[in-house]
Amino acid sequence: MKFLGGLPAAVMLAGTLLATTAAIAAPKTTLVVGMAAQDVGKLDPQMAVSTIDRTAVAWMFNGLVRFAPGSVNPATIGPDLAEKWEFSPDKKVWTFHLRHGVKWHGDYGEMTADDVVFSLNKAADPKRSAFAGDFAAFDKVEALDPYTVRITLKHPVPSLLGIVTNYSGGYIISKKAYEALGDKFNSHPIGSGPFEFVSVTPNQSLELKANEAYFRGSPKIKTISYRFLPSNASRDLAFQSGELDLEFGIADQTWVDRTKKLPHAIVDVFEPAEEAILNLNETQKPLDDIRVRQAIAYAVNRPELIAWQGKDVSREPKSVIPGGNLGYVDAGLLPHDIAKAKKLLAEAGYPNGLTIKVIHTQLPGMLAQMQVVQAQLKKAGINLDLQIVEHATFHQMIRKDLSPIVFYSAARFPVADVYLTQFYDSASTVGTPTAITNFSHCKVADAEIHAARTEPDDAKQIALWQTAQKKIVADVCAVPLVETLQAWVRTDKLDYGYDLKGSLSLGPLITETTQFK
Amino acid sequence: MIFYVIRRLLAAIPTLLAVLTLVFVIVRIVPGDPAVAILGDRATPDAVAAMQHRLGLDKPVWAQYLDFMGHSLRGDFGTSMVTGRPILQDVGAVLPHTMDLTIASMLVGTLLGVPAGVVAALHRNRWIDVTARMLSLVGLSFPVFVSGVFMLLAFALHWRLFPVIGNANLDDPIDRLDKLVLPALTLGITMAAYITRVTRSSMLQVLGEDYMRTARAKGVPWRRVVWRHGLRNAGLPVVTVVGLYVGILIGNSVLTEIVFNRPGLGKIIVGALNQRDYTMLQGLMTIYCFLIVVVNLVTDLTYGLIDPRVKQA
Repeated sequence: MKFLGGLPAAVMLAGTLLATTAAIAAPKTTLVVGMAAQDVGKLDPQMAVSTIDRTAVAWMFNGLVRFAPGSVNPATIGPDLAEKWEFSPDKKVWTFHLRHGVKWHGDYGEMTADDVVFSLNKAADPKRSAFAGDFAAFDKVEALDPYTVRITLKHPVPSLLGIVTNYSGGYIISKKAYEALGDKFNSHPIGSGPFEFVSVTPNQSLELKANEAYFRGSPKIKTISYRFLPSNASRDLAFQSGELDLEFGIADQTWVDRTKKLPHAIVDVFEPAEEAILNLNETQKPLDDIRVRQAIAYAVNRPELIAWQGKDVSREPKSVIPGGNLGYVDAGLLPHDIAKAKKLLAEAGYPNGLTIKVIHTQLPGMLAQMQVVQAQLKKAGINLDLQIVEHATFHQMIRKDLSPIVFYSAARFPVADVYLTQFYDSASTVGTPTAITNFSHCKVADAEIHAARTEPDDAKQIALWQTAQKKIVADVCAVPLVETLQAWVRTDKLDYGYDLKGSLSLGPLITETTQFK
Repeated sequence: MIFYVIRRLLAAIPTLLAVLTLVFVIVRIVPGDPAVAILGDRATPDAVAAMQHRLGLDKPVWAQYLDFMGHSLRGDFGTSMVTGRPILQDVGAVLPHTMDLTIASMLVGTLLGVPAGVVAALHRNRWIDVTARMLSLVGLSFPVFVSGVFMLLAFALHWRLFPVIGNANLDDPIDRLDKLVLPALTLGITMAAYITRVTRSSMLQVLGEDYMRTARAKGVPWRRVVWRHGLRNAGLPVVTVVGLYVGILIGNSVLTEIVFNRPGLGKIIVGALNQRDYTMLQGLMTIYCFLIVVVNLVTDLTYGLIDPRVKQA
């Protein structure tokens, strides 16, 4: 009796043990990500401008074409929603053949040419897109049949595929969902990617679930919890305590070294690099004198900046556009030479040095970089009188030409045309109706930048971009400082399913192949 | 008592109106354009103008003001300029977290601070008093973002008693409490330090009063003299300080929420400020002020409970 009475208990114990073993053996399918954020902003991919929003929309949306996961090299661009495409000899008419049977998240049916036409037209509309400028060359987008889309351009562009890739304005959204949801689409996005939107808890987290009908197969990760944790210190602590599997890091050697030492941590440092540049306003005194601009260029000490920021996360810039861009060239930057800087200043009429008022942001990372530059310039007798303002104010003030020197750090689509156009084409000069981010009022390379845009011959196009960079460097419109890569940390159990070398969304892509080991 | 409450409530109305106007002005004086903040650094001037139109920022300021006052007085704070979500929905979602933290820290602060202050006063200049004063000095000197990180290092990482990420599930009381302990202690200890000092000095004053000596002479036990006659009279300044401090707690919760990764009003307001989310800022500041007005009202009513003279006045 006693024996029999013990039996059920033994069976239960064995059962529990088995269940426990199974639970241990089955890999985790919930990914918890820690992001340096207060909240998400816009989840409509064509309105998503911050790293916070971009990282997440990249998991939910597709483009007509895409970069190979883990790469930012335009040469790896391959099919995504479009299976194949062809273009006319003058590269002005592009025809895309869409994949059949791609389902939108939720009950929004199948993706067709109508959605693509709608998305690209929306992306080109400044009222409904933050990236309308990228679509300036678009003449019309038409659906030839439900699975064929034709894009006609006003003139050839350097990289049409770059515009319709899985990045910025290139993401394709569901027309039906956008029309049904209206403004709510921003907080309830409908895409076709491996993960679909579930909910947002303001200031806490964004929750996603696997899109089981994803056309590349059902994702191995089943849910993603994207947590907003603005404090760097406590985000790191949460990673250490195992509450996070993946975390947005800090591009700083101390952080990288410390984090690498943690058990089960893998630090990923990847492209694109954001290039920090001093933009010198050539139309304002005393920077209208090229000798003063040259003096600043000679006074800047790039190797010192890199040693300070850290070798793992920094790269020395060699041109006025970030390294790795198509068309990039070593443009012959002026070397560090304090004596020459002083001599040039004296020639320009400032033998005792000079003081320049500079408006700068209080964002800690950017402020620290600028303070190093401030100390370097001081050695040559150039005093930067930093006026520190709050970040949103900084952005507003520099767009009104209020700071003769503008420190700006940015990564762009990696084709020379984009960076050159936004920062050095006179049409982009701040204060003009077509302003983007030309803070230096640079105009020396307009001819090359414009000619390259429509140059059909690839080699000639690259040569034009290279000449443009050399001219900008010679005129000292801008002084490159340092290139900073992206840094994240993940648990060694998390396998992306691809080799992470770069990500244009600035966060790691989570794909259908990403899994826990 | 009823008239007293009604009078206090009526007095709060002009305060709120003035606050609403101030909020409207302050939010707009701060430089920075929400349209630029929303669209990012690649937006063309056309896109910025279109966004300003959508946000209603191209209307004259007086029209914006009338809109704002009209809507606010009807309790409609509109939707966030950045996320498009209704402001009351966002605030409602985090308000319980903020209230939890405020009330718990107030309890910690009062329950630690008042006895500590009384004991310190009774043992004036002896070791127990010196220790209490030293500890309260330490408590006052540590900013929340330092003491909070220490708390996390010790209790969340070393001993693993509590989680680092504190976004509690409101429907689960255990989870809610679990995630409240560290932040409430962090905020509460600072408050306790303050309350200890106030209680001590107020108590010292009362201890020297004639009625205390009389009570003792009548043969009332010392313990009863201290708690009934002493503390009740020393209590008014303490209640004032607790009331004032609740306002500070609501404000101070910003840092605590960030360090402990808790949702809350403070965290939202920082985000709204960075994004120049005018409507959100207006709504939040109004709600903050409303809370402070309510707390002041409650403090005033508490006076009436402690001191019958206040009610009659």
